Amino acid sequence: MRDDELDEELRSHLEMDIAQRMTRGASRADAEAAARREFGNVTHVAEVTREMWGGQWIEQLRRDLRYARRSLWRSAAFTTVVVIALALGIGANAAIFSAVRGVLLKPVPNKDGDRLVYLRQSANGPGQADISFSVPEVRDLRTGVSSFSGIAEYSSISVVHRSSEGPVRISVGLVTGNYFEVMGLSPVLGRLTHTADDGPSAAPVAVLSYEYWKTRFGGDARIVGSTILLNDRPVTVIGVVQPAPFFPERVDALLNLVNSAHHLSAAMQQNRTHRMTQLVARLKSGATLDQAKVQVATVYAGLQRAFPEAYSAGERYQVAVIPFKDVLGERVRLTLWLLMAAAAFVLVVSAANVANLTLMRCVRREHELVVRTALGASRSRLRRLLLVENLMLAMAGCGFGVGIAVAGVRLLTAFTRRYTSRASEIRLDSTVFTFAVAVAIGLALLLSLLASLPREANVGSSVLAGPQRVSGSLRRQRLQRGLVVLQVAVSVVLLAGAGLLTRTMMSLSRIDTGLTTDDVLTLRVNLLTALAPGDTNAYAVVRARFEDVRSALASLPGVSRVGVSSSEPLQALGNYSLVRADGPTASTGEAVARADFRPADPSYFAAAGIPLLRGRGFDAADESRDNVIINKTLADQFFPNRDPIGKRIAVKEEGSANALHWRTVIGVAGNTRDMTPKAAPELVVYTPLSGMPATFAVFVVRADGHLTGLAPVATRIVREHAPNALIEDVMTMSEYKSQSVAPQRLNAVLISSLGGLAVIIAAVGIAGVLAFSVSARTNEIGIRMSLGADRKRIQRMILGEGGVLLVVGLAIGGVGAYATTGVMRNLLFGVAPHDAVTFGVVMAAMAVVGVIACWIPASRAARIDPAIAMRI
Amino acid sequence: MAKGQSRIELLQGTLDFIILQTLRWGPQHGFGIGQQIRANSDDALQVDTGSLYPALHRLERAKLVEGSWDRSDKGQHVRVYRLTTAGRKRLAADRSKWERMTHAIAGILNPPQRREES
Repeated sequence: MRDDELDEELRSHLEMDIAQRMTRGASRADAEAAARREFGNVTHVAEVTREMWGGQWIEQLRRDLRYARRSLWRSAAFTTVVVIALALGIGANAAIFSAVRGVLLKPVPNKDGDRLVYLRQSANGPGQADISFSVPEVRDLRTGVSSFSGIAEYSSISVVHRSSEGPVRISVGLVTGNYFEVMGLSPVLGRLTHTADDGPSAAPVAVLSYEYWKTRFGGDARIVGSTILLNDRPVTVIGVVQPAPFFPERVDALLNLVNSAHHLSAAMQQNRTHRMTQLVARLKSGATLDQAKVQVATVYAGLQRAFPEAYSAGERYQVAVIPFKDVLGERVRLTLWLLMAAAAFVLVVSAANVANLTLMRCVRREHELVVRTALGASRSRLRRLLLVENLMLAMAGCGFGVGIAVAGVRLLTAFTRRYTSRASEIRLDSTVFTFAVAVAIGLALLLSLLASLPREANVGSSVLAGPQRVSGSLRRQRLQRGLVVLQVAVSVVLLAGAGLLTRTMMSLSRIDTGLTTDDVLTLRVNLLTALAPGDTNAYAVVRARFEDVRSALASLPGVSRVGVSSSEPLQALGNYSLVRADGPTASTGEAVARADFRPADPSYFAAAGIPLLRGRGFDAADESRDNVIINKTLADQFFPNRDPIGKRIAVKEEGSANALHWRTVIGVAGNTRDMTPKAAPELVVYTPLSGMPATFAVFVVRADGHLTGLAPVATRIVREHAPNALIEDVMTMSEYKSQSVAPQRLNAVLISSLGGLAVIIAAVGIAGVLAFSVSARTNEIGIRMSLGADRKRIQRMILGEGGVLLVVGLAIGGVGAYATTGVMRNLLFGVAPHDAVTFGVVMAAMAVVGVIACWIPASRAARIDPAIAMRI
Repeated sequence: MAKGQSRIELLQGTLDFIILQTLRWGPQHGFGIGQQIRANSDDALQVDTGSLYPALHRLERAKLVEGSWDRSDKGQHVRVYRLTTAGRKRLAADRSKWERMTHAIAGILNPPQRREES
């Protein structure tokens, strides 16, 4: 409306001027020309006048947006490619940044959480990376370290929570009364525990974790004061704690120590080597981490001097003081930063590609911009138009990117849940959103700076040159080519990482597990209900039930053997004890070996497919004898070049000070190997089933060739014998294998998809730049052809142009990959960080994709008809 | 161009004052205002349309002038501007300011004869 009025106002000005000039005797044409000359650029005058209107910027923005929309709509292909590239780049980054932030960067929700430290006692040997502390050790630390205002003790165990909805296994933390105060946590409901809840006479109470309260009890406030059944013992719920991470794993509830008879037993309270307690301490205000480290080291050195028998010299006991936040994310830190780097690389590739596309589009639009300048658009106005256009593109990319991020965050949360209790803190919140928008705006600004605007001084000649003149300035071409090289190089680095992780996954799944068959189904059954409280005959009762279930399973069609144990094959039980070979008396300071003790019934070896290399297996009579079967690694270490059968090994059991138990070796079993990257073959001692905790059993069902459909049948059989039992881990050996490489597979899949993404974008980039080069050189190609160059030659020329970029990119990428893959060392298995084969395959793959990308524009160039080309 | 050299660069804010002063004699359209300024300054002040129209619209937004559509003497549809009450007040204030200013500058230049401005 108002625009029209302004136009009319200015038109009337011109008309009046013309009329006046004509009254002075000028001809209509002369008057018009003179009036226009004097008036100046009408569009420009209108433009600057409009700027005086109130609320102008909104009006202008609306106009710019409309213009940008029209202009982007016209080049739909460009817009689509750019938006997709940006969406993928921004989406991947936003998702992974959320995970990095939630797990590694954000302060823990605990009050003054930066003052919390985790104490880690470790020693050399399997299963000793974090052996926790014994109660006497904790007492000594508490009195000796003055820079802590408090030390909270806890241990995590799993219990069965039985309710009307059926039994579930949950993780709980057994905590001392001061736990919540030291951790700086508040209740959302009810109360938390305090020191009055310590000791044997306290009532058993539970504080629910926020997550468990929400998922299991639907956030019902009436839960406080009610009683729940944990391991079939009633426990009163006293409150719900705020959402907070627990180390090492998420817990569903926190209980006071009276819930575990063992935790108040003399063995636990007095034995210096009975280490089951994990520690988080709070630094006093004013105390520093370094002070605490020094004090802890001093106290610990004193302990080692005072109690040498508790710290076997050969095993190098040590204590580390680690900020709580760092320890929470330690297992996933490397992977997350790796993903972050990969995502950043993808963003670089897609931004480079978008920049290239924008550059090319700018060249095509040069004429349009020149005309606009001629019509009165100021340079600042054109800049703003381009900026609005780029912002629109970036925002569209950002919008779709956030959609991708939402899905990505879900995947990453599931992934990190295996490694850290902070996974639930991963979310796409306003900070991450701001991050995504900031990235988008930054990109838009960058892209707007790339466009070169026509100078007003040259407008005349540029307009005359006409729309066919495509300016391929040398500087811009260099920039374009540089961007292509960058894309290729970054893709190679990403692909190399992806290749190494894929090889890792492959070598893991090819590990020789030592089992002779995969046709095995396992079921873990908790027979808790079979135990009547106070039943002294409980063990015999439970054994009888196990036997019933075993024979029922064995009679199923297709089943050949059924064994009973405490752990699934290929899974360490974690029941470590010190062992020593019989023979010459051990000298002081001799390294003792730590072996995993795994109970097994007579059928176990045959059922699980573990070969017996020497001697015999267990029989029923072994139940009451001190006979054991050792694995090959242990036999080789203890009895090199000797027959171990009939020899004795000494077992120093936890809780029984220095007493040694002698066991006789009756057989040697083949080694089995866990399918985790770090696991070296362990020392294993198989004991008769009488050594087994009576509360649960693992049934190992072998059914050669008849595994399909066995799981539901077997579950039903177990259910018939134990209607209320919790049945867990029903899976076949191949399912187990595939599950145990799942983290590595996900690593490989994530990095490979990011790598694949980068390659596709880079290929589009190469093809685009070459296609543009061809269209800019149509005329030249036409001349070459008419001078006698044949099609093959033209094709070679364009291929060569792309080939140079490809080779340079490959070379830089190869060097870059060589320089960077070293950081992945800890994530790799069975492949070196600089594996030549992987690098070769990766480079070859990139080269093939690159050549195909060059081929398309090259063959298009070869099809140019010289007659048509020359006419343009 | 010789003519260009004789023109005077307008100080910031001066144009607004000149326009208000020009409108003192009654409503006028943009073209007329330009012509009048030019005539009254012996061609020394030639206002660019690229300055004149932004200034008019700025004054209108500040409610110092008020624009409306009218017919010119030749029957043409034109937009004319007239002073508002606020515009008159502003003009009076600006005028005394300008008179003091020209007086001061004239004093500094110390010319042989003083010429009173109307």
